[in-house]
Amino acid sequence: MNRFLARNRLILLAYAGVVVLLLVTALFSPGFLSPANLRSTLVLAAFVGIVAFGQTFVIIGGGIDLSIPWVLNCAALLLTMMAGGQDLALIWAIPLLLAGGAAIGFLNGAGVAIFGVPPIIMTLAVNVILQGLILVYTGGSPTPSTPALIKFLAVGRVGPIPVIGLVWVALGIVATVLLSKSAFGRHLYALGTSATVAEFSGVPTARTTIITYMISGMTAALAGILLTGYSGVAYLGMGDAYLFTSVAAVAIGGASILGGSGHYLGTVAGALVLTILTGLLPALNLSNGALLVVYGAVILVTVSISSETWGVLFQHLRPPAREKQGETSG
Amino acid sequence: MELIDVKDLSKRFGGIIALSDATFSARAGEVHALLGENGAGKSTFIQILSGALRYDSGAIHVGGSEYRPQNPDAAQSLGIAAVFQELSLIPDLTVEENIWFRHEPLTWFGTTCRKRMRAATLELFDRYHFPAIRPDRELRHMTLAERQIVEIAKALAKNPRILILDEATSALPAIEADWLLKLSRQIAEEGRLSIFISHRMGEVRAVADRLTIFRNGSTVAVHEAKAVSDDQIVTEMIGRQLDRLYPVRTASRTERLALEVRGLSSGHRLRDATFALYEGEVLGVGGLQGHGQRELLQALFGAAPSKGDMKLWGKPVSPSSPRDALTGRDGIALVPEDRRGQGLLLPKSVSENLTLSVIRRFSRGGLLDKQQEAGLVREMVDFLRIKADTPDQPVGTLSGGNQQKVVFGKMLLTEARVLLLYDPTRGVDVGTKGEIFRLIRDLAAKGYAILFYSSDLPELVHVADRVLVLREGAIAATLSGDEITEEAILSAAVLDKAA
Amino acid sequence: MTMAETGDAPRKGLRNGLLDNAPFLVACAMLTLIVVIYGTRQTGVFTLDELNLNTTAAMTLMLAATGQTIVLLRGGINLSIGGMISLGTVIVATRFGDSAGSVILWSGLVLLLGIAVGVANGLLISIFRLQPFLVTLATWSILNGVAMIILPSDGGRVPGWWLGFGYLQFLGLSSTVWMLIALLIFWAWFMAARPGITIKATGSNEKSAFLSGVSILRVNALTYGLSGFFAAAAALYLTTQTGAGSPTIGRDYILPSVAAAVIGGTSLFGGRGHLAGTIIGAYILTLIGNLVFILRVSSYWQPVASGVILLIAVLASAIAEKAARKQAA
Repeated sequence: MNRFLARNRLILLAYAGVVVLLLVTALFSPGFLSPANLRSTLVLAAFVGIVAFGQTFVIIGGGIDLSIPWVLNCAALLLTMMAGGQDLALIWAIPLLLAGGAAIGFLNGAGVAIFGVPPIIMTLAVNVILQGLILVYTGGSPTPSTPALIKFLAVGRVGPIPVIGLVWVALGIVATVLLSKSAFGRHLYALGTSATVAEFSGVPTARTTIITYMISGMTAALAGILLTGYSGVAYLGMGDAYLFTSVAAVAIGGASILGGSGHYLGTVAGALVLTILTGLLPALNLSNGALLVVYGAVILVTVSISSETWGVLFQHLRPPAREKQGETSG
Repeated sequence: MELIDVKDLSKRFGGIIALSDATFSARAGEVHALLGENGAGKSTFIQILSGALRYDSGAIHVGGSEYRPQNPDAAQSLGIAAVFQELSLIPDLTVEENIWFRHEPLTWFGTTCRKRMRAATLELFDRYHFPAIRPDRELRHMTLAERQIVEIAKALAKNPRILILDEATSALPAIEADWLLKLSRQIAEEGRLSIFISHRMGEVRAVADRLTIFRNGSTVAVHEAKAVSDDQIVTEMIGRQLDRLYPVRTASRTERLALEVRGLSSGHRLRDATFALYEGEVLGVGGLQGHGQRELLQALFGAAPSKGDMKLWGKPVSPSSPRDALTGRDGIALVPEDRRGQGLLLPKSVSENLTLSVIRRFSRGGLLDKQQEAGLVREMVDFLRIKADTPDQPVGTLSGGNQQKVVFGKMLLTEARVLLLYDPTRGVDVGTKGEIFRLIRDLAAKGYAILFYSSDLPELVHVADRVLVLREGAIAATLSGDEITEEAILSAAVLDKAA
Repeated sequence: MTMAETGDAPRKGLRNGLLDNAPFLVACAMLTLIVVIYGTRQTGVFTLDELNLNTTAAMTLMLAATGQTIVLLRGGINLSIGGMISLGTVIVATRFGDSAGSVILWSGLVLLLGIAVGVANGLLISIFRLQPFLVTLATWSILNGVAMIILPSDGGRVPGWWLGFGYLQFLGLSSTVWMLIALLIFWAWFMAARPGITIKATGSNEKSAFLSGVSILRVNALTYGLSGFFAAAAALYLTTQTGAGSPTIGRDYILPSVAAAVIGGTSLFGGRGHLAGTIIGAYILTLIGNLVFILRVSSYWQPVASGVILLIAVLASAIAEKAARKQAA
């Protein structure tokens, strides 16, 4: 674990950021640290965290998934339509929608891995196509309300703990096992670091790529399903905000957008940072516009922290490192 | 009169010292060779001279005045032009656009004047007797050797007082390499300075007037080329007597067929190759660069599409991806051509790199057994004597030789007993070269079957049991025993009739 | 045999040329197809009026996509175009007075702001060696936020005469067609002059460009500065169409600007692309809307169609790329 942290300084920094933000928020708005408020912050952060789950895997693998908004939105709309407010229908509706999300992910992954389409374009096109199709299908009309079970999953509690918080913890464990403890994780980091080296090393690169997009499609669909429980209905455009936040959470969590580094534990911190900021700004009497400005600034600051430029700028201020001879290349 | 005079030049990267108090001086009208192992500081030195890197302390004088380059432009304006090992060419520009990049002849509107650019290109080609190359081809459609020649043209276009050739011959076929040596002489005879860096001793001897030897970032000796022996140069380069570069070759070949290839073709470059590789044998592959060696090894490894029959240990196989080839003991493993681009994940640890191909083997019910992994990694690090502080050290921070050892370790861990080696000593220091040759022979003695391509003829002569010579994608000759000489390989590679 | 003999025959050169330009040719074919379908369903398609009208409709996207093409050619991406467009329209709608002086002053300031924001993007990217995607994502958010602070919801006003710009005509061609011609001439000049060649070269291979003496910092500042300029120009033009400011409208141009460039054959990996392709891409994306309208299907099919066209375009370029690589092997 120590070694993990040593190699992932950025994740630690992200958590430090969470703590600082909590303290600052508490200072300006004393009610913020009340159990009820913390709970609602956790619920909101969990949605970001669940959407960013798949995005984390895709970005570590060197890709990006821009199809998340409308996968999420489609899942939400279709869920309410399929279930018609009945819990019983969820037995088949939820698995079907998760499989559907995975299928869309498969399409994305196949386009990227097999046909060599740049991920930005592939997932962008899929996003637009899904948007159009669901609009055509629903005709833009409102949909029936959400089944009670979904509401329980999204806003219910077990004792003092929100159910969705438990879902999030479970996902965190799954992600950690996959990334740090499994052969798949090694393959994924290798793929993100260099697709050619991975290919030459016998890593199933196409399969690994496709799996990451399938995971992303599935978690986007899951988030869509749960979001209907939070808002009570599904509506058009409900996923749009999550494109930005999913990428931002991963970036703030210390992953390189080029792939090969990062961890879901970092993304968790990223999701918390973004959500706490959303809670902090009303306390400071700041508008939505100001929130966007702060979001942008936070991203710039966090990604610059990882920059090697600081090292170069300050190298003269540091004591010279232990000398080692003849180990440079050329 | 010294044209360039470098005193006490030092450069460090973080905690690593690349150059410490290096000195160098050379005069106009000579070809001056710069020698040293990998990691001796040659590339750093060249990058400083050409303005790509800044130095920490010391002094450089060019033509008598102080020179402190801040960027490549400053070097160019002083008449220093470098032909880099890593090419400085733009894939999406044409040959002539590359040659004159940022120095294009302009029209009144500030746009490139194509007519004058073409004329200048042809004049340049003519003046230095360039091999024929069409000026309007885009670089990305050209071979490595052709691009290397364009790179040379680009350096000469600036009409430099000092021309630096950094391993420029390594990518060239024999005839063009020969042309380049003549070109170096021409530069010197025109009263300019040519600084020549090469690992090939023969070339250095053929072209250099004087030579400077670097070791561990410092200058250890300067010689008149005629007054010094190869042995002395090598000794000074590595700082000790090299026991023996090449190991004793003991026959270990058995009659058991490891790899049988019939009518293998791939792309335009490999046609109808048929040969057999036996257990315990080192089968060399020679020939001029670009005559099908890459395609042969990549096709066998499944990294390039191919037609033809292949049998591994008697069983027909047709690998369509490296995954198909890396099937454990019955499989094939490759030490690829491009260590940094194909072989290693530079930012990842030694340990992660070593076990990447076999990571599934440590999976227990979906979880990795990290203790077992660490044990195997430790064994391999010890066996190959990989110099790393810990197995967690990023591979990119190791020296070239140690990086190549990690590639070998990764391949050995796959347990494949048919090994394909693509020029495994390229960019590796002399000391590690010797270790690699010994390793190759040791593995053969243990029953491995090894296909060994090298661009360096003496390596084939001293390490291989038999040598296949490729010419224009076909096997032009198979040499064995005493037939394997540098002359025989070269003449089979160049001439129409096998020698 | 020497290398020279392995050189290319003219036929191979032609084939390379076709493969290299496959995405552009596919885009031309798609545009032709759309125009033909359009023409069979509607009269008066092949008139100057129709050209004027469609160019006027497509001009915002064309300007935004020009800014995007420059960045893509450099091997980057600029998402902040969206923020700049929003902010630009908001400034216009809240600051423009009725006098020509005020309009000129604020137009100039908007364009300067675009350049400044772009240069800031470029500097951030090169000084901290950051990914363009993340930097411009962040600046997009910041610009968008500022726009929302200035004008929380759609509104504001512009002088009446400012509104009619796109419908002015000269020699039978609308002002926008003339703008388009000017854009293409600018591009032809720019890409034959050193700054353009340098941008393209740096996008093609940054390391090589650096070794050839290019200052990466300056190239990035120039690339993103120009991109910001065109985004600001898109914002100014947009207000002549809408007559109002909108803090959210820029979002509608981010991805379409990338799509127009990619449909027209600009590579996301840098070094390859041409404005002519981007213009064709912008026409395609605009005409799709008309087509959906005259075919009398639900307008919701429009995003589906543009997504499919984008996929066809990238698949064509991916397949051509593979074929070219096979050729090289």
